[in-house]
Amino acid sequence: MQFSVVAEPDQSEDLRLGDIPMRQEVELVSIDLPVELAEPLLERGVLPGCRICPVRSSPGGDPIVSIDGSLLALRRETADCLCVKLLSSLQDAG
Amino acid sequence: MSEQDPVAGGGPVVSELPSEPPLVALVGPPNSGKTTLFNQLTGLRQKVANYPGVTVEKHIGEVSLGGGRTIALVDLPGVHGFSARTLDERVTRDVLEGKVEGIRSPDALILIVDVTRLENQLMLVEPVLEMGLPTLLVLNMADELDARGGTVDDEALAQRLGVDIVRTSARRDAGVDGVRTYLRDIADGGASGAHVQRELSNVPTSISLPVIDAFAARRKLVRGIVEESDFVAPDPSELTERLDSMFLHRLWGPLIFLAVVLLVFQSIFTWAVPLMDGIDWMVGTSGDWIVGTLPDTWYRSLIVDGVWAGVGSVIIFLPQILVLFLFLGILEDSGYMARAAVIADRAMYRVGLQGRAFLPLLSGYACAVPAILAARTIDDERDRLATIFVTPFMTCSARLPVYALLIAAFIPDEPVLGPFMSQRAAVLLGLYGLGIVAAIVTAFLLKRTLLKTKPTSFLMELPPYRIPSLRTLMLRLLDRSKIFLRRAGRIIFAVTIVLWTLTQFPRTDTGPPDIEQSALGTIGHVIEPVIEPLGLDWRVGIGIVTSLAAREVIVGTLGTIYGVETADEEAVALQDVLRRDLEPGAAIGLLVFFAFALQCMSTVAVMRRETAGWKWPILQFTYMLFLGYGGAFVAFQLF
Repeated sequence: MQFSVVAEPDQSEDLRLGDIPMRQEVELVSIDLPVELAEPLLERGVLPGCRICPVRSSPGGDPIVSIDGSLLALRRETADCLCVKLLSSLQDAG
Repeated sequence: MSEQDPVAGGGPVVSELPSEPPLVALVGPPNSGKTTLFNQLTGLRQKVANYPGVTVEKHIGEVSLGGGRTIALVDLPGVHGFSARTLDERVTRDVLEGKVEGIRSPDALILIVDVTRLENQLMLVEPVLEMGLPTLLVLNMADELDARGGTVDDEALAQRLGVDIVRTSARRDAGVDGVRTYLRDIADGGASGAHVQRELSNVPTSISLPVIDAFAARRKLVRGIVEESDFVAPDPSELTERLDSMFLHRLWGPLIFLAVVLLVFQSIFTWAVPLMDGIDWMVGTSGDWIVGTLPDTWYRSLIVDGVWAGVGSVIIFLPQILVLFLFLGILEDSGYMARAAVIADRAMYRVGLQGRAFLPLLSGYACAVPAILAARTIDDERDRLATIFVTPFMTCSARLPVYALLIAAFIPDEPVLGPFMSQRAAVLLGLYGLGIVAAIVTAFLLKRTLLKTKPTSFLMELPPYRIPSLRTLMLRLLDRSKIFLRRAGRIIFAVTIVLWTLTQFPRTDTGPPDIEQSALGTIGHVIEPVIEPLGLDWRVGIGIVTSLAAREVIVGTLGTIYGVETADEEAVALQDVLRRDLEPGAAIGLLVFFAFALQCMSTVAVMRRETAGWKWPILQFTYMLFLGYGGAFVAFQLF
């Protein structure tokens, strides 16, 4: 059985972390993964509401993201299950 | 070290005999510098054992605090949480809750975090504080925080959490005295003695459904704490960024990866050689000395030909093992290993494994036993089973003595592909490759049959690059050499004595029998028909049987067999007699056999424990034996 860990129902757009260009910081909206796959993410602070920024791509084309000053390597399959939204224009400039 | 106080001074009321020292547990996420701090505090006064029932390594050390006061410190595995999803997490949780046999529940805790990533690392703080034990929060990597312009108000943080705080840069031994002061207070308080079982409450588990809410709540709390203590995150490490743009580069990344692997292999066969020659000389000279000292009796032959030669032929490989572990240690502690796992993940994923399997598999090049244990960090059970099933295909250091002997005897030392690689190195590399291919094919088959799975995820934290701590590296090397020597000292010692005894009976009128007529020879002859199709004779047959204990034993066995056989003639080097007795094709077949077959009882035992049953080890042993026999047969026909 598979159920999603979703914080809120789908929002206006369906943007995934995998679609985000390098160096663009976004906010995580929901994690579209079964609990057992989501839990390791949660423990490392990848939670709805957190800011996450793809900083690099591995030689195999998988994203490496920065979150709270930690670097985390994901598979692109996982990144495609992370729903994100762009930060509004009032994001901090620093 | 510290002097023992002969007369107890003004300590607290000494009403009973000093019982066990208080136990303090060291908790923290991976890459927080936990082990470095543990080593700074305990130095050489530490022991490695296994937790009962599971094969998680238990590191317990003694911290001497002056005035005869000591505390026991246990270094728990690095974890991100206590959900008990992985074995490491389960053990950490059980120790903290006092549920592990043979370990009292801790009297106090030290939570160590990498302060440069405070918010991320404090996810552990809430469950740890809920234990209600005296707790010290160690903000490690403080030098890095300062250097990269981050700040945190320790006072505010301490007040908010209600714990003591010490800043350290454990690698530079800075601030460690603060930890000692804290431990001294605990030691003065004495062990509580009460064996209280505490529960780690509010642990989100997979069973409780609103997992995400629990984590979100914890996260919010941590954010509040971090904000109240004026934490300013440091700038991203420039060094890490620059190195990553090289090591994770689309083109350079994989090339550097390959270069690193090649460097490791080349070095264990070049750098280690002078040391090995030294040991060889020492064993030889001391053997001669013993011969000169002891009277010419039956036990002189046992000591010199049996024990000394047998154990010596294995100790000689210690330098190679140390060089290998030194490299693995540097790779891991510097942070490169995590990048290597990321680079490897795509390829591993295609095979059916994952990047996290890279470390166990690479450790497998040293020894399959710790490698199988290292696979515990793989959270997916089927991924873990597939990984530990193929780990023994990695060319472990116990194979090196066998490879080194046969390669030196049968492969000419001539250059191939210019001056960079000799034919010997090429054959060795080929044997490594053979193991890799077998592992890949096996994993591929397993994941499509017995261990079919839905796609799993892969997550790897990439720690900042750091210069490895020399002390931690050295202590690990010491640890590994102890384990290796204990193996040489126990298994191989025992096997050589049994072997030597079997060569001495049945007695003839003139003393010990010819080796072929001895009990050992009889055993070899019983096996001979089975291995005859491989071009091998009864002598190698004995070696194959004895090397079931551990692969490298075959070297000592052959040494004993030939040593005993030629004891009255001039000493002939083992390589020369092997060249005389074996066809090149059979020698290559034997190499292939050792590349594939699971000639290692320690691995079988560990597999049984790690899979909680006989099914997997029996399957693995049979599969690898057939592969080894088949491979040797094909090689003998081809060459």
